[in-house]
Amino acid sequence: MAEFEPKIVAFCCNWCSYAGADGAGVARMQMPTNFRIIRTMCSARVDPEHVLRAFSKGADGVLVLGCHPADCHYIGGNYRARRRIALLRMVLEQYGFDPKRMKLEWVSASEGEKFQKTVIEFVDTIKALGPNPVCSKEA
Amino acid sequence: MSWFSDWKEKRAKKKAEKAATAAAAPAKKEAAASSAPAAAKGAKAPEFIADSPIDGYVPGLGAPPGGKINIAIYWAAACGGCDVSLLDTDEKVLNIGDMSNILMWPIATDGKEKDIEALEDGEITVAMINGAIRNSENEHMARLLRKKSQILVSYGACACLGGTPALANLVPGGVNEIKDYVYGVTPTSANFIADGGRKLEDVMPRPEYNAPEGTLTLPVLYDTVKTVDQVVDVDYYIPGCPPTQKSIAALLDALVGFVYRGEALPPKGTTVGVIPKSLCEECHRHKENRRITEVFEPHEVLNIDHDLCLLDQGILCLGAGTIAGCGAPCTKADQPCRGCYGPPKPVSEQGSSIFTAIASLFPIEANDAKMNEDDMDDIMSVIKDPLGYFYAFSMSKSLIKRAVNEGGQ
Ligand code: SF4
Ligand code: SF4
Ligand code: SF4
Ligand code: FES
Repeated sequence: MAEFEPKIVAFCCNWCSYAGADGAGVARMQMPTNFRIIRTMCSARVDPEHVLRAFSKGADGVLVLGCHPADCHYIGGNYRARRRIALLRMVLEQYGFDPKRMKLEWVSASEGEKFQKTVIEFVDTIKALGPNPVCSKEA
Repeated sequence: MSWFSDWKEKRAKKKAEKAATAAAAPAKKEAAASSAPAAAKGAKAPEFIADSPIDGYVPGLGAPPGGKINIAIYWAAACGGCDVSLLDTDEKVLNIGDMSNILMWPIATDGKEKDIEALEDGEITVAMINGAIRNSENEHMARLLRKKSQILVSYGACACLGGTPALANLVPGGVNEIKDYVYGVTPTSANFIADGGRKLEDVMPRPEYNAPEGTLTLPVLYDTVKTVDQVVDVDYYIPGCPPTQKSIAALLDALVGFVYRGEALPPKGTTVGVIPKSLCEECHRHKENRRITEVFEPHEVLNIDHDLCLLDQGILCLGAGTIAGCGAPCTKADQPCRGCYGPPKPVSEQGSSIFTAIASLFPIEANDAKMNEDDMDDIMSVIKDPLGYFYAFSMSKSLIKRAVNEGGQ
């Protein structure tokens, strides 16, 4: 069997993390290509519903990336986001997901390297976890 | 009780009139009966009494001009509450009798599956199904009633959203785990097995059993409980656990207009009895800053402020993610809304929409920037069982409909 190549959805906020990802690309940093970026205006725009929808459609992992605490372009968006994500993590665990399938990380516009590191580590984590369990069983 | 004598008089008069016309034109009635709703078009409207004493009830309604329609009411995976809500219609139930032959209603009448099978397709005008689709029999009956009916109504939270039965979807081992527990582990079962020197197989129900008299079968339970509209096409939805009398009256009014006066029915897919806004707008409580730091069960709060939003008092209320229309009886009674009416129209996932809103009510701490995500987990862990609480009624309609097992099956 070929090695499992996970599908990962990465939500990046427009003001920091998307710019960070862009920086990583411009600097030609090497990283796995398993992720698709969805740009949102702020990490707080990432509704838990979006994450659940990604999992329900077969994403193996979801990254939510935003500005560092105190750096959100909209002042408090990431403080909201981290609370929602914490609650969502509980919900995912109750469903039976490994909570490591979803990760919230802060990546600033200048942190191309951190973006690269986050993606590499996350892809490794998901490879170890295996495919999304939603697809394997639906009555 | 003057309306009652009034009603009796009218009723007697109607009866006499009916007997007279029936005697005069028996052939006409026969012809009309085969296509009741269509024939009702252009028919003369019956005399409606303006000061009808009960909302939605029409004394002396009599049979529709085209003859009585056929209705059927079925319970799938239900608690019985939905049927009781229909019985609770007081005098309005008499109008149902005026208007229709009840061909099936397990809680109240004797119609059987074979009676429904013997009907022509479309011979039932309205079938109402309450309860979720939990086993093969539920699904079979839903399909059968769909085939035989012109209008199919999904009645109640279980039928529309999955409701309480759909929480069974969260048992990771599905039906087998549930059966093993119920027939093997619960004290009554375990004692029964131990006392009689029996084995688990002896008490475990099997879908097929070969008795000397022939093969006996039982319905098969499903791992994933479904809504009615996930197995058949549904025309109308009536939400609520159980639906309110107001919703029932609204449906009844629409039906009376349709069969007696040939009025158009609401468009297909209509949810009866809802108001397109969130329950918070219907709720009488005023909202302050709504910041949650601690969470309480309603019984833990002595002296609940009757006029202040329950979220302001640390009681998790699902009103913000629930469609209005019920009249907010729960919050009037100092209980939080549990979301039985389902989400407002543009919202697809009631559970995540409400917990997103509630998570946003947790205040930002002075040292938030220095906190890490583990601290967030601690803060949010004051909410126990978020999946069970926020999806209490809507599991079958959620994006992820059942528990998952990591690492393959
Ligand atoms: S909707 Fe409520 S009252 Fe109706 S069957 Fe389900 S649990 Fe019972
Ligand atoms: S959250 Fe509940 S108590 Fe508060 S206004 Fe909305 S429905 Fe009323
Ligand atoms: S307040 Fe909420 S739980 Fe109560 S009847 Fe209305 S929708 Fe249902
Ligand atoms: S704008 Fe980046 S987290 Fe709000």
